[in-house]
Amino acid sequence: MIRWFLRGVSRPRVTTRYPRGEEPPPAGFRARALLDPTATSPREAGRAAQACLPGALSLDQQDRLMLDAGRCIGCGLCVDGNGDRAITMDPGYELATTSRERLVVGADVREAEIAAAALRGPFRRSLHIRHVDTGSDGAVEQEIAALANPYYDMHRLGLFFTASPRHADVLLVTGPVTRPMEQPLRRTYEAMPAPRVVIAAGTDACSGSIWTAPEVLGGVDRVLPVNVYIPGDPPTPIALLHGLLLAAGRVRQASAPHVGGAAAAAVAPAGSAT
Amino acid sequence: MITLQDRMVQATALAGETQQLVGRLMMLFAAGREGARELYAIVRADDDVIRLRARVDANAYPAVTPRVPAAHWFEREIHDLHGIVPEGHPRLEPLVRHGPEEREVRLPEEEDDVRLGHRGAERLAGPGVFVIPYGPVRSGVFEASQFLVQTGGEDVAYCAQRLFFKRRGAERRIGEVPLEHAVLVAERVSGTSSVAHALAFSHAIEALSRTEVPPRAQAIRRIVAELERLYNHLEVTVRECEDASLAVAQAQFAVLKERLHRLAAATAGNRYLRGVVVPGGTRIDLDTRAIDLIGSTLAGWESEWRRVLSILLRTDSFLDRLVSTGPLSAHDARDFGCVGPVARGSGIDLDTRRDLPYDGYPEFEAARHSDGDAMARMEVRFHEVDTSLELIDEAISSLTPGPTRTAPGPLTRDAALGASESARGETLYWLETGDEHTLRLCKLRAASFVNFGVFNRVFDAQVLTDFSFIEHSLGLSPAGCDA
Repeated sequence: MIRWFLRGVSRPRVTTRYPRGEEPPPAGFRARALLDPTATSPREAGRAAQACLPGALSLDQQDRLMLDAGRCIGCGLCVDGNGDRAITMDPGYELATTSRERLVVGADVREAEIAAAALRGPFRRSLHIRHVDTGSDGAVEQEIAALANPYYDMHRLGLFFTASPRHADVLLVTGPVTRPMEQPLRRTYEAMPAPRVVIAAGTDACSGSIWTAPEVLGGVDRVLPVNVYIPGDPPTPIALLHGLLLAAGRVRQASAPHVGGAAAAAVAPAGSAT
Repeated sequence: MITLQDRMVQATALAGETQQLVGRLMMLFAAGREGARELYAIVRADDDVIRLRARVDANAYPAVTPRVPAAHWFEREIHDLHGIVPEGHPRLEPLVRHGPEEREVRLPEEEDDVRLGHRGAERLAGPGVFVIPYGPVRSGVFEASQFLVQTGGEDVAYCAQRLFFKRRGAERRIGEVPLEHAVLVAERVSGTSSVAHALAFSHAIEALSRTEVPPRAQAIRRIVAELERLYNHLEVTVRECEDASLAVAQAQFAVLKERLHRLAAATAGNRYLRGVVVPGGTRIDLDTRAIDLIGSTLAGWESEWRRVLSILLRTDSFLDRLVSTGPLSAHDARDFGCVGPVARGSGIDLDTRRDLPYDGYPEFEAARHSDGDAMARMEVRFHEVDTSLELIDEAISSLTPGPTRTAPGPLTRDAALGASESARGETLYWLETGDEHTLRLCKLRAASFVNFGVFNRVFDAQVLTDFSFIEHSLGLSPAGCDA
């Protein structure tokens, strides 16, 4: 044991300062697509919508391009060979929002009309988290588990996992909700004391993403009221921290997946803790 | 490319023929349309891959499982999905279906076949014996899976696993999406083995379209496949340290694992290396900066890994919990067709990278251990970390300038098998061509599908407190198993 002790104290500190300091993602990281709705040409819009497997990019009734970051898996196929540069990949880590609509950008959706305030939820400081998997691909569980590693050290922020839903404030749900998991999910939620917050973690949980089979219900909000959406395939540990802190009302939510105009100004700085 | 030998047999003779090949049953599934169903048994025998085809005219055939135990889950799946009855199957109850009538899980009855891991007459009964239903919502951060543990308090009398809570219909989805999107679905079957699934799927498409992968793409594929193996083996190590309550060890290995994910993010734009492997090659090229970053990061990583591992291997409280825990005999591993570190930890000489060669892997020695316990499986993984580091070095030095992709042409073959070795073992994709640009059938088999099948075998004479050690030493992926 003395060897482990010496090993532990001899290593430098690696813990991120997030949310007090920035944690920049590496260049080229593909977190989600960003759309500049003013820059698309009709031909490119149609091509981009076809290139998108989960249907994150689609055409509205006037054949204008819309982007739903709640469906985006960050594959980047829309950017490959995109002629008018209306779509770019966002390397950002802070992606969580409190409404499903805020993840959608189209020609008619104005950033300013969607409330940018932090969630006025019941929790301000510490959160106890109960995780439920409803059909994820397994990577997001590892990203959640990574929150406890020395790089992210969630405990420093007062975030804890709990085994019993009776002790939980937050229900962290991963996966597109398969039929066999619907009842266990409901029962876990019902076992939690009020007030409670439901977080959909990952693109699968936000919308069902690429899964369309009848075995899949398609997004946690088909079953439970969702308070926080964390898109990402899988969401990175920082994105998960951002979503958890958003649930506690300690950070501001992400901007819509939008470039140009008012959107840039609305980007919430990291660490705007209340 | 995998060359298949085709043999037509009578459905009544399928069990006998499969047994006579004395090989490993890789897959058994039903193909074809209603009314003209065929059963395919894909068997690895000596150096050949043999496909036995049997037409099922009636909706029943004599079960393979009594002669070849490895068929037990495959036949339950066939029964669930197609309604074909394997007559004489020792335990034909729902496996992948989760209807309301299948909610209750049955514990084994007296007459159940002992060879299928059911203790039959030895089953405990009487006062003080109880069943712990564990899952599908489990304590901690786990994927959805359920275990029914029958115990008198400490000794595990029987442990039944129940999966397929996570079935998302991946096989059908791969068949219905545009061909250029199908690899995106394959990457998301088991999200921690994205590269292995993309590779196995791509190998099958490359065989169907007779596409040659350029040498540079092969080297990049080897690099990302081995990086994936590294972080998966690290994940198992982290979990085992957590089980042993070694907080510092857990943190140290978690740091090493996190560094690999950061390396993946910095070089491939995704922490799980998605978006690299596509049919015909790779979608991204690794430039000099990325290659230098991989080389320099892994050089530092390796010395840290050796230092931490050497402490771990001298930590008695770790070794005590793993040595002789969860033993799997070579006999069982062979009978049930286990793959990957689970098979190699029980002395089975098996590695897809060497047995069904792909992407220019050089010769290397597959790690093996004969003890068959949890420690043996860990030792195999520790050895494989070294091998992976060597293979990455080799791949980096063999990188030559050139294209990274040959766009696959029309699918001119009817059917093909694609394989790769994930960190969990052999991953298989069987694809059949519809017209030249669509797939008619996709059948995939993740390593965890077969390795989960022996879950109840490794609990013989074990104690309840070893549950998590045993589970994690098998390194299973419910997402991959359920698909």
